[in-house]
Amino acid sequence: MTYKTDEILEDKWVNTTCGVCYCGCAARVRVVNGVPVKIEGIKESTMGGTGAGLCGKGIAGLMYYHDPNRIKKPLRRTNPEKGFGVDPKWKEIEWEEALEEISTRMKKIMEDNPNKILFTNQTMRASDGPHNHLYFYAKAFGIPNNGNFIIGGGSLHCGNAAHMLGGLIHGAWSIAPDWRYTKYVLKWGSSKGTGSGHSAMTNARLRADSVRRGIKEIVFDPMGNFAGGKATQWVPILPGTDTAVGLAMANYILNIRGEIDELYLRAKTNFVYLIREDGTFIRDEKTDKPLVFDERAKKIKVFDDESIAFEDFALEGDFEHNGEKCRPCFMALKEHLKQFTPEWASKISTVPVGTILEVAKGWVDNAQIGSTITIEGQTFPFRPVSSVTFRGSQGHSNGIHQVASIDLISQLVGAEDVPGGTMGWPSIRRKYPGGEYERLPKVGKDGVIVPSVFYSHDPWPVHAPSYPCTNSGCVEFWSHSTLSHIPYVKEKEYIQEKFGVEKVKPEMIFGIAVNFLISNSDWDVALENFKDCFVVLSDIWVNETDQAIGDIILPDTSYLEKDTWSSEIDSFFFNGSPSYEDWYVHLQNPVAKPVGESRDFMNVYLDVANRVGVLDKYHELLNGYYSITDEKLKLKPGEVLTWKEIGERVLKWVYGDDKEKIQKQGFATWHKPIEDVYWRWNMPTRCPVYMEFLIHDRRAAEKIMKDTGFELEMDMDQYAPLPDWFWPTSHKELDDEYDLLAFSYRDVLHTNNSTFQNPLIDEVSQMSPYTFTITLNKGLADKKGFKDGDIIWMENKYGTKENGIVKTMEAQHPKVLGVCGQGGLWADRRPIAKGKGSNFCKLLPSYLRHYDPITGNIETSVAVKIYKG
Amino acid sequence: MKQQNELEKIMFHPTGSDLKPYEWMMRPTRQREWIDDKGIFLWLAFFFSEIGAGLYFVSLFYEYRAGIVLGWLITLILGGLIHVLYLGNPLRAWRMIMKPKTSELSRGIWIIGVFAALGFLQIITSGGFNMVFNCIMGILCLLIISHGFATMNVIRALPAWSSTMVLPLSLISGIWVGSQLLQMMFVLGGSSALASGMEVWSEAFFLIYLLCILLYVWGTFHANEIGKTSIDVQLNGELSKIFYAGVGGLGLVLPAVLTLIMWGGDTHGFLIFLRLVFVLAGDLAIRYTIMKSAVYKPLI
Amino acid sequence: MPRWGMVIDVKRCIACWGCTIACKEEHFLPPRVFFNRVLIGETGKFPTSSKLIYPILCNHCTDAACVEACPTGATYIREDGIVVVDDDKCVGCRACLVSCPYQQRTYYDQKVKEREYYPGQGKTEMELIGEKLYPLKVGTVIKCNFCSERVDEGLKKGLTPGTDDVATPACVIACPVGARVFGDLSDPESEVSRLIMEKKGKQLRKEFGTEPAVYYID
Repeated sequence: MTYKTDEILEDKWVNTTCGVCYCGCAARVRVVNGVPVKIEGIKESTMGGTGAGLCGKGIAGLMYYHDPNRIKKPLRRTNPEKGFGVDPKWKEIEWEEALEEISTRMKKIMEDNPNKILFTNQTMRASDGPHNHLYFYAKAFGIPNNGNFIIGGGSLHCGNAAHMLGGLIHGAWSIAPDWRYTKYVLKWGSSKGTGSGHSAMTNARLRADSVRRGIKEIVFDPMGNFAGGKATQWVPILPGTDTAVGLAMANYILNIRGEIDELYLRAKTNFVYLIREDGTFIRDEKTDKPLVFDERAKKIKVFDDESIAFEDFALEGDFEHNGEKCRPCFMALKEHLKQFTPEWASKISTVPVGTILEVAKGWVDNAQIGSTITIEGQTFPFRPVSSVTFRGSQGHSNGIHQVASIDLISQLVGAEDVPGGTMGWPSIRRKYPGGEYERLPKVGKDGVIVPSVFYSHDPWPVHAPSYPCTNSGCVEFWSHSTLSHIPYVKEKEYIQEKFGVEKVKPEMIFGIAVNFLISNSDWDVALENFKDCFVVLSDIWVNETDQAIGDIILPDTSYLEKDTWSSEIDSFFFNGSPSYEDWYVHLQNPVAKPVGESRDFMNVYLDVANRVGVLDKYHELLNGYYSITDEKLKLKPGEVLTWKEIGERVLKWVYGDDKEKIQKQGFATWHKPIEDVYWRWNMPTRCPVYMEFLIHDRRAAEKIMKDTGFELEMDMDQYAPLPDWFWPTSHKELDDEYDLLAFSYRDVLHTNNSTFQNPLIDEVSQMSPYTFTITLNKGLADKKGFKDGDIIWMENKYGTKENGIVKTMEAQHPKVLGVCGQGGLWADRRPIAKGKGSNFCKLLPSYLRHYDPITGNIETSVAVKIYKG
Repeated sequence: MKQQNELEKIMFHPTGSDLKPYEWMMRPTRQREWIDDKGIFLWLAFFFSEIGAGLYFVSLFYEYRAGIVLGWLITLILGGLIHVLYLGNPLRAWRMIMKPKTSELSRGIWIIGVFAALGFLQIITSGGFNMVFNCIMGILCLLIISHGFATMNVIRALPAWSSTMVLPLSLISGIWVGSQLLQMMFVLGGSSALASGMEVWSEAFFLIYLLCILLYVWGTFHANEIGKTSIDVQLNGELSKIFYAGVGGLGLVLPAVLTLIMWGGDTHGFLIFLRLVFVLAGDLAIRYTIMKSAVYKPLI
Repeated sequence: MPRWGMVIDVKRCIACWGCTIACKEEHFLPPRVFFNRVLIGETGKFPTSSKLIYPILCNHCTDAACVEACPTGATYIREDGIVVVDDDKCVGCRACLVSCPYQQRTYYDQKVKEREYYPGQGKTEMELIGEKLYPLKVGTVIKCNFCSERVDEGLKKGLTPGTDDVATPACVIACPVGARVFGDLSDPESEVSRLIMEKKGKQLRKEFGTEPAVYYID
């Protein structure tokens, strides 16, 4: 076995960005004689794993280029009937024909109402591209906000609650432990550092070093697999009950143990704001700012009055303002928490009382409240405890309370954005030396951080629910949904009618195929809700959504063929290293020529915008997005440029004279100052842990519901300022027959479902015991008469069922079934993926009551019965 | 092998055993190379070498030239040829003489080579059946008989093969099958007296053969966990049908019945023929189950 | 002369399969042929059970069963301890394959050669170029060679295997969590030796008695 070096005519490595999941790790591709043959990480970059490390699916990304099932020409459906199991009878058409039809239809719709066009948003990047640009692309069409997006890929399973809180507390998309300095990590339904989540390999690298250092990692999860299987201690918990344990721990910290970081709470949270009896803030008449009590001056002042020292903000006390009784909302918290005893939490979550107390004790013991650390000559509070959550625990109908209670634990000990604590992804992005683009968060209303960049819907400032709604997402009413759930909801038509959207019934879907039909919830509901639209999707394959409802499928280039100069410029708030490491911002360089006649969807978007007549508007928005002020570099009206040509201008703006150098090396790197990493005490912001706005939102929402006669079930009590316990819908549906909770989780090998079509991933998935199987606890399996290899059916209360192969495991809660996401695929043109694994998403009922009333997050566990196949 | 259910067929590529790909070396994992697909040649090659050498060996006692000629031919032509067919690169087969020091396979080739040459000499020389020559050839025959199982026996990774009873079983079965062949040759050659006289040996070898099989099963089962798994596969698992019908029925019960009928030398040509057929089938079956049931110890 | 060996830190490993897939790309291996794998299982009983993850590859044993079994000398231990197969000498008897208690060898025959990553759809450009660049000989046994091509080429250039990426096995540099370390076991100062000493490195199934050069630390 040796290499035939004489067969090598050309051998080069091209630096680019991985596009297999949303993490965007640094990647370089070996191209021999023009053929991409190998992928590695980039040693010189911290975007990703140790050295030149990259995860398995990233390395396997080669196959996105080599797959013979790639679409080579635009496809047109000739069978007007849509649905599952219907042959679309594809006909290959020319690009010109496709683009003419698309733009003609769009122009016609826009004459009526642009809100009748829905755009799809992606959370995976097999075809990849500049994810951010889709939002303001839609704006160019005259669509004002985020209500016209259909979320696909990771869908509403992840994000809405976690992103909302990440934005409000950290000005960032998500949270991670400060691996470098932490000592004690709590992970709640999250696999950060063990293969999933944002910056997955960056976190995995940092975590690996820290476990070697000897940190304790405690994982609350229904399954001891990716996160739990690697933890110091895995704590089996029922899905959706993390809130209970979180609140009991908070109660222990605050009321039982009584050890809190008072200075932090006084200085950095809104717990010092004075509330009246109904829980709302007392505001200054002139400035409308919340009021606080200055203990030294014995005076009520506005919260940002510079004369108050941090330690003088009152956390407790009864005061009076203009004859009205008031007190700091911290007192409300203190009283509120008293009801949450460990015994109570244990009954709900099944976590033993002793475990709850032991973990809570470990938390306080390790928090080192009052200690400081000096790094590079700068002194910061040192709180080496971190509590993080993501998809698992937040994906419930009580999602916002889940994340808020988990965050509360960090708040109480001051472990937020300080060394060792709970970190947001970077919220500050200083300019590249010699470049211009800079993004700094602002201090917004009530002292809350306004993220420098946030996708779709800004978490702050908040808007109270209003109506009539102008788009199908009804985001005027669901004002906290990062991405709207309404397009998927069973009672969509009723909701839209009540909220005045019937006049803007969607007629067209345009975007990137993210398989939204099968990746969120009940497939039949999704089909019913989307099939009447004219569906145009850009994809590298014909996936299930394309096959079921696509009218025109445009062949996209894969990430290996794209020139996506923009891919990471503004995604620092979820893709950069959350740790103290220099900036590495990568470009996506093409490593091979486009397959067939495939075109980068961004060029197609520009072409369509030009045909529809909104290209100038788009240019204007883009100039604004990157705040380009240099007239030479600005995109001008009348110009028709390719995405690459636009990149030449923007990169010049962003990187100045180093543009060429950076393009050549494939990434930019510059120093990230430590004070930008641990920014908490350098920025005059306060965490809105007391979510007072929800009281107002509730009033507004209830009024609208009354006015419109809206009668659907919504748990309005969840509009509460303090984290509280609410049973997830799935638990409410448990009974003697439907006695188990099915849940899904992310496997390190898979990104939603695109990875199922990759043969390199497929063959190792078969060697991985839990990837294609349905797992259940061994004892449960014995009781129910199942053994390894049996065919099992799971059926929900609404008659939807899915089957799979049983794999028993010890490390699983005995009341749950685990399914790794989005298998059970059937698209004819994805033969590798076809039939692999089981599809969990279809089991999720899609009634409004199954969504978090505040964030729109879907309940991602479901009551099922099981039987043999 | 257990039938895969329809979902397994779609999701998992067949592994050639009951295991799913993720169970490979996590549960006792069957060896496949020396029995599955082209590996079946090796099973036949070992079988023919053994019965040829067995026939040669037994013929030596009767100084029966037709016997040694046929034995020599079976061992070399059938055994040897099929061996070569099994190889990935048959043209390089000569290379297998390179490592007699460590490789049992290599030693086997040497023995076969010497056997071929000396056997040829014995066949063509009129005074070939002398004491010294017979002794040398006898030893060579025993080595060849046990060659197949000796090759397997040295593989420590497969406890079912490295069991102490494998070699004795192989020797006895070779002689037993060889004696049956010779007896048949006597019948065909019209020497019914010789055939009848041999029956006492058949009785003895049959009983020892039976004992060896029992000892092999018992010994391997009790040797260690993995040996136990192999025997379990033979007795209760996917090989149980072959074991009970082939080894038990054809190899032991039916020959036992026929031996009892002919007990005391009351032989009959057709019955000897029938017994030979059963014995050959039974020998193939025991070899098959031993080769097929060997499993590796899980790695974690 | 160095004695190449590897330490795998199972505490770091997250079972991402990067090693497995990188190895396949490095050696252009056909479907279902692996020089690297990850074994995943669990031990103990609920709720205190724990997950077991063991990345495995050829152990390049000092007392290699495969070398002993090989009748032609095609499989041999190089001076630096790497166990390799000389495919010019291999006759394809598979005695090595059957003898390996770790089952780290694959018989490469016509059927394996004909496998396609997209069955029935023809070979991809990558598979075709692989057959040219890294031709595997039909009828021989193939296995992990500790990326000896990289090691040898690197040494020629004056690089240090285990330190310089291009001179280090592909699975080592592919690991995103730094769970693999490659180096000289005969040098007590090397990182591999140090890790084995400090973290009490263990060989997988030491009882097989083949003296593996791959160690695991926890």
